[in-house]
Amino acid sequence: MAEPILLAEQLRKTFIAKKGMGPKAVVEAVRGVDLRVGAGEVFGLLGPNGAGKTTTMRMLCTLLPPSGGSGRIAGFDLIRDQAEVRKRIGYVSQKGGMERVATGRENLLLQAQLYGMSRRQAVERVNVILARLKIGEFADRKTNTYSGGQRRIFDLASGIIHSPPLLFLDEPTTGLDPQSRSRVWEEVGRLHGEGATIFLTTHYLEEADALCDRVAIVDRGQVVAHGTPAELKRLVGGDTIALGFASADHAARARNVLLHSVKELVIDERALRLTVEQGDERLPIILAALNAAQLPVLTVALSRPTLDQVFLKLTGRSLTAAEPAEDAA
Amino acid sequence: MIRDAWLILKHELLVTAREPFWIFFGLFQPVVYLLLFAPFLSGIADAPGFPSENSIQFFAPGLLMMNALFQAGFAGFGLIEKLETGFLERLRVTPIDRLALVLGFVLVSTITVLVQSVLLVLAALPFGLHISLVGALLLLVLLVLVAITMGSISYALALIVKDPGILAGVTNFFILPVLLLSGIMLPIAFGPPLLQWVAAVNPLYYASDAARALLEGRLGDGSIPIAFASFVVLAALTLLWFIRTTREAVA
Repeated sequence: MAEPILLAEQLRKTFIAKKGMGPKAVVEAVRGVDLRVGAGEVFGLLGPNGAGKTTTMRMLCTLLPPSGGSGRIAGFDLIRDQAEVRKRIGYVSQKGGMERVATGRENLLLQAQLYGMSRRQAVERVNVILARLKIGEFADRKTNTYSGGQRRIFDLASGIIHSPPLLFLDEPTTGLDPQSRSRVWEEVGRLHGEGATIFLTTHYLEEADALCDRVAIVDRGQVVAHGTPAELKRLVGGDTIALGFASADHAARARNVLLHSVKELVIDERALRLTVEQGDERLPIILAALNAAQLPVLTVALSRPTLDQVFLKLTGRSLTAAEPAEDAA
Repeated sequence: MIRDAWLILKHELLVTAREPFWIFFGLFQPVVYLLLFAPFLSGIADAPGFPSENSIQFFAPGLLMMNALFQAGFAGFGLIEKLETGFLERLRVTPIDRLALVLGFVLVSTITVLVQSVLLVLAALPFGLHISLVGALLLLVLLVLVAITMGSISYALALIVKDPGILAGVTNFFILPVLLLSGIMLPIAFGPPLLQWVAAVNPLYYASDAARALLEGRLGDGSIPIAFASFVVLAALTLLWFIRTTREAVA
């Protein structure tokens, strides 16, 4: 394989955090992350809030000097060749960064010119992008009048104004309504189709599943697993059956009944989550056993493996319920 | 580099012009001083030791200094907003020269001060202010130096504290004593010897004296070279500080 467009080796970031007047605490936000992304891939960094996703991305975008380790973007060193790296990447932060009292067009023109385009080239390029993303009708309004979804598409436009070979998207759909989200997904898919490499962070599993060729799961500043979504799901090794009971006591008793006949079993108050092979065939048998033990099952759900289960399996915690640690960056 | 600074300057001026309200809002404070404070000085203009022939001639030049002090001294708040909206980050990930970024912002606050200063001089004319044209132009140069100094300090502090509340506290903590010991509000000669001695190390004291001398056309006044020399040095040092903070502290 040719040199990857993005390469990170043992990337680390340590912050000194002070809590009030108390002693200084050292926060290890990123603890030795290795990443390799090939040209043309959509690569996702998946993890809960505070896992170090944004910090990792900010280091890869030259916004934050790493405390240790190294990285290369399109062959250029992250620390020594910052200027060259910056020419080759686009970055859309969570906040977007549009000037509020300027119009979308003015924001994009500034962005284009900062990438070295002449005024005329910039005007042309902005027109092309506006037409392509179908946002021309809003372009001459101040960005503080945009809806969240409209603003997000403009953010995306500012990230691709200079057609960067590598585009970073930090939680591109967080806080968006479903319609706007699918609009962003559509554009990411289109860029992918045109050969762009996209590196995104997300804490939405379905987003990683739907968009990414490969995913790295991060937790507490470390990559705990990486692979294609299908490969990762195979780690779980089975289907999941979720059973709901009337009380925690019922759930606990059901656990004892089933303990020896399933691969894995997790209890969460009034719910049981079982990992089994061939869930569709096992389900009637399990229900019959619980019925015989006089433990009425209130709800049943059978699901194929999801990335959430991968996360649960790897870290012992559910991704959606993971403790939202303080975001260091 | 110059092109990048020009792009930032143009964009920021466009944004400022889009809401001219703020330029006039910024002028509100000095105008109130002109209307509600300067007239009170007329009662003491005849007192021994009063440095000018009348109150407006004494107060208007100081008012220009005060405007530069506050206007540029609070410029950092705009930068904190740009930090919070992610605008600054969006710029920092482009290949823009870091120095251009710094210069662009300092120029914006300086130009704002220049425009306001001209407006204030014009506003003071009907109150009986008479000015020397050469002196007034030199005074604008001095105001630019003060604005660069205060703007750089405020921007650098903004990048360090990153919080508007803390920035307000820190700014007021420094700006008020500097203002009160500058002889802008009342002649320093009226104060007790200890405060006079402290004022003697306040560069703004010389700047406000120089402002008075320049507007009156007393170009040979001793405060003028001291004011220019100290603010050339201060502007250079604070600008360097702002550049360093931009390179290092922005996270």
